[in-house]
This record gives sequence, structure tokens and C-alpha cells, in this order.
Amino acid sequence: MRTGASITRRLTLSVLLLEVLAGLVLIAIVTNHERQVRFETFDANLRASANELLGAVQEANSMDGSVRLESEGLHLPPRAAFRVLVDNGQVLGGRGVVPTVAFESDKVSRARIEGRPFRFYVLKGDRIIDPNSSRAVTHRVTIIYGLPEGRTWHAIFEATRFFALATVILLGVTAIFMSWLVRRLLHPIRELALKADKIDAEHLTFDAPESSKQFLELRPLAFAIQETTARLQRSFERQRRFTSDAAHELKTDLAIVKSSIQLLAMKRRTVEEYEQGLALGRDDIGRLESTVQKMLTLARLEQSVNVDQRECNFAAIVSDAITQSQSYGQVKNVAVFTTETEQYAFILLNPEDALLLCSNVLINAIQHSPENGRVEVALESRVDEVVLRVRDYGLGINEDDLPFLFDPFYRGDASRSRKSGGTGLGLSICKAICERGGGTISIANRTEGGAEVCILLPLASSWRP
Amino acid sequence: MRVLLVEDELRLAANIASGLREAGFAVDHAADGNEGLAYAEQNLFDIIVLDLMLPGLEGRDVLRFLRKKGIHAPVLILTAQEGKTTIIEMLNSGADDYLAKPFDLGELIARVKALIRRSKGASSPRLRVAELEVDTILQAVRRGDTIIDLSPTEYRILEYLAHRPRAVVSKQELLEHLYDYEWEHHSNVIEAHISNLRRKISIPEQETIIETLRHRGYRLRSGDKQ
Repeated sequence: MRTGASITRRLTLSVLLLEVLAGLVLIAIVTNHERQVRFETFDANLRASANELLGAVQEANSMDGSVRLESEGLHLPPRAAFRVLVDNGQVLGGRGVVPTVAFESDKVSRARIEGRPFRFYVLKGDRIIDPNSSRAVTHRVTIIYGLPEGRTWHAIFEATRFFALATVILLGVTAIFMSWLVRRLLHPIRELALKADKIDAEHLTFDAPESSKQFLELRPLAFAIQETTARLQRSFERQRRFTSDAAHELKTDLAIVKSSIQLLAMKRRTVEEYEQGLALGRDDIGRLESTVQKMLTLARLEQSVNVDQRECNFAAIVSDAITQSQSYGQVKNVAVFTTETEQYAFILLNPEDALLLCSNVLINAIQHSPENGRVEVALESRVDEVVLRVRDYGLGINEDDLPFLFDPFYRGDASRSRKSGGTGLGLSICKAICERGGGTISIANRTEGGAEVCILLPLASSWRP
Repeated sequence: MRVLLVEDELRLAANIASGLREAGFAVDHAADGNEGLAYAEQNLFDIIVLDLMLPGLEGRDVLRFLRKKGIHAPVLILTAQEGKTTIIEMLNSGADDYLAKPFDLGELIARVKALIRRSKGASSPRLRVAELEVDTILQAVRRGDTIIDLSPTEYRILEYLAHRPRAVVSKQELLEHLYDYEWEHHSNVIEAHISNLRRKISIPEQETIIETLRHRGYRLRSGDKQ
């Protein structure tokens, strides 16, 4: 059983319904027009015949001065009914039944004779006998002439029937043509659907078929599908890359741990060698653990934002992070300076996340600083946002790497980053935290040398001046 | 035998190199694709162990360039990437074998040995040199039931020569294939080792197994591969 409405059927039915309505109105108009024209002719005929009768009275020879009706040579239809009256009701001649009611003269009136509708015309005229002599006598002649309407009505009915039949045939033809046309016009939709149906996780590409691009109405749909697919593909691609990179990372770390142990087991070794091997293995496992930890952090941050997101004083957290990073800076002989600071800057982030963000950025800056270098931190409150800038005086960032810095597991120089203990997740985590707080993070090279990280975070609404 | 290890992960590279060295190989390490290709182009290596994901030039490109340049050393691919397509693509591009990370170090060494053996035209891990048997797995040389005690370098020289019976192997070639760049190169080191080796494996009344061809190198008198 087919369920659901069909556009083809609906469209065809709507058009047919409109056509039926139009047909009915047309038939009504045509019928009315036909009736008018027919009866005008009918009435003209009545008048002509009445005049003919009057003529016959006027032209009849009068032998004895009386009025006569010369009915020979008159061509009156057999179904006509008439009376010719003179003066005071003397009937000169007539046929059929004529109503006795007094009709107005020069007017067409309707009457029913023996149950059939008739139209009568009353004509009044004079018959002057011996008009040229002094004895001229004038007689008033009244002619009542009528014809049954039946035939005319029949003709009107015939005409109407013809139009009705023509309309029905037209409707049929239109219905067939319409459904064909609609089907044809809807074909691009079917093509679009067929193409859209082929989209799946494996083939996340959609190229709208040409037919759908031709139609103004279909273009938005085709475009929307195309855009959605592209968005999905990008997101899938990101996910896929993350999974693959994560797997690569974990497998590499595992390969290190495994090979370290296997290397130790390859032959009998001295106690010192075993101790050294174990220490290395411990480091390897530590790194594996840190990679897993960071991946979990990133996964948590990228999940939908918590409803109970807390507020924290970013200014206090920045100064905490600076204090914490200074000890690491001392190891690397890098000084961390505050050039500008605020007392309060409340933002919508969990304090732990905010601290992680700040220390990640600071440690990154220290790592990229040269020996005896410095890192400058500036915190500035604006109308509705707070800006944190962290500058280092290192080598800066390779221009080629700039667009990918925040991609998970991206390392400008893989071996170098690995050596410094980076997992390639630090900046991705920073970005995720900033986005969680509704802000942004960016890195740029400074013209004076070194790089600057700029973090913009909106102030919590309750703290905006 | 000399191995080129192209691996960007330094800790892993260190472990593999140590394992291979302990198994009697000379190992050179390259930390990225470009360096790896530059090393490999010298055509000194009996095998190349190549990681796929490398900074600079990717592993697959290193492999393609190598094959294009006519370097036929067997290539063992190390990969942490999933997927049959990668493996098929690599094998079709001229790789000889692959190992997925995290692999077994013992398996890696065994595969390296097998690939070298194959590339030298031997299918058995036991090579015959005249009446001697060289066991490449145990790294032992036997005459009948007696094991001949050789130093690791002497063994490596004999194994290298055993892989190329009847061919003239120059001192330079021996140096290149038995030592990595971390060793000092001295051709008289080879002469000393050859002389010791000759003494250990020859029977006094008989002709020497290792011939010296003046200014050309060394040749096994008669090699018999199984």
C-alpha cells in the first residue's frame, strides 16, 4: 500500500479542480450569452412577423370599407399563435391560443400556453381606408403574435452541452499531460534523492546532479545537501585523523616500551645495565601515561560544554601559573616577567582548566626561549573581554606550520618536539579550553623576533562594567 | 651486514639500533626522511629499516625515490598506521616486508636477517663455505661437529663473504658493510681480521678458503649455497 501524499497527484488534482471551476464559469457565461443572443433574434423574429401581419392588414383590399386580413402570401411558422384585432376587439384573424390578458404594446411578454412557454409581441397600428378621400376612416389594428420558446431553449441547451463536453475532454487531456509534465519536472528531485542516498560514512562527498542545478527551486536544496555533506566530511575527517594520529602516537609509545624491555631481555646483562634499562623504561611509560592523560583531557574538553561551568578570576590564575612556571624557567634559565596585570578579571571557565591553559602557554614559551631568555606576560581587561599575551624571544614559528599549530598531534618538527617531551596535544588542549570559555587563541610571529600567543576570553556577564 | 635505520622517534631508534648491533649488525640511524634518503643513496646498506611517518620527506616517498634511483637493498617498513591499503601500497612501491608497531624486537631482527639472506640469494639460514657451515641464526661456524670460535667481526666478515660466493669483495666494501659511521675506518683492520679468520678456519695442509687478490680484495675459494 502506498502511503504519503504524492506531489504529482496533488498538483494534477489542483490543476484539474481549477480547470473544472473555470469550465463551469465559462459554461455559465457562454450559456447566458447564448440565451441573450438567441432571444434577441427570437424577439426580432416576433417583431418582423407582427409587422408582416400588420402589413397584410394594411394592404388588404377593402371592398366594403371594412378591414380585412390578407393572409395569403404570409409565411408564418406553423407553431406561431396570433390574433389580429380591430378597434373594439373584433377579431380579423388568428391561429392557436392567445392569452386574453392585455399586453403592453411594442413589448415582448411571456406567457404559458397549454403548459408551454411562449413569447408574445403586441403591435398596434392603423388601417386607413381611402386615405386620399374625405371619407377616410381610420381603424386601430392590434396584432398579438407569439412563438413557443422551446426550440430556442433547445438550441441553448445544445450549445451548453457542446461546451460541457469539450471541457470534459480538455480536462482528460490536461490530466494526462499534467501528470506526465509533473513527473518530468519532478525528475530532478528523484535524481537528487538518488544521489543523496549514495552518501554514507565511506563516501562523504556530494556533487549535485546537473538537472537539480538548473532549477531555481532546487538549487537551495542541492546546495544545502552539498554544504551539509561537506561539513560532515570535514568533521568526520577531523575525527578520523585524530583517531589515526592517536593510534599512531600510542603505538609508537608502546613500541618504545616494548622494545626497551625486549632489548633488556635479549641477553644476560650487568646490574647497572638492568638499572639503566629500567630507568629508561620508566620514562617511556611515563610518556605513554602523559599522552593518554592529555588525550583524555582533550576528549573531555571537546565534549559539550558543562551546564555548571564555574567562574574564576583569570587574573589570579595567571599569577598562579606564572609562579608555577618560574621554577621550570629557572631550570632552563629563562625569566618570566609580568609587564601588565589586572586584579580581577572573572571569566566563565573552571579554574583548573584556566590554570591548565595558562601553564601550557607559559611552559611552551619557556621551552621555545633561548638560554638566558625572557618570557613576558601581559594581562589586560577591556570592556567585555580580557586579553592575555605571552611573548617569547625564541626563533619564532615556521610560517608553514602556523595554520596547523592547533591541530592535535601536529608538531612542527616531530623529532625535536618529541625530544622536548611534547605530545603535540598541548596547543589543541589550549584551543579547546579557550573555546569552552567562549574565547579564542592565536599565535603569531613578532617582527622583533619570537612568537606571541594571544588569548581573548569574554568576561563573565556579572563582571562587565 | 650494515643496516640503515630511518626512524624519527629517537628512543625507539635507539632501542632498535642497540638490538640490531647486539645481533651483529652495523647500524646507521637517520632521524628524518631527507637524511635517510641521503644515507641510502650511498648504496652501502644491506637492508633499510624505514618508518613510514617521518618529518621532512615521508617514508613512502623515501622508498619511491630509492627504487627510482636503482637502489635495490631490501626495505623493511615500520608502520603504526592501520589499513591494508597502506601495506599493499608499500609492497607495490618496492618494499619487501613490513612490521606494524608495536612490534617484537626479536621478530624485527629475524626479519632483517631473513630479508638480507633472501636478497643475497640464499633461502636457508645455514650457508655452506667449502666444508664449513655458517649458521646465521646462532651466528656460529661449524666444521663437522666442531664449532670454530670466531670473534664477532670475524664472523661478520665470513658471513658477508659467504653470502657472495665466488665474487671478489674489496676491503672497502667490507668496511662499508660491516661498520657504521660511528666506527673509525681503517683498511688494515680488515686485513688483520682476515688474517685471523683465515688462521681459524683453514686446515694447515690445505689451500686457504679465503683467497687474496692483489689490489682487488678477497674471494671465497669455493662457496656452496644450499
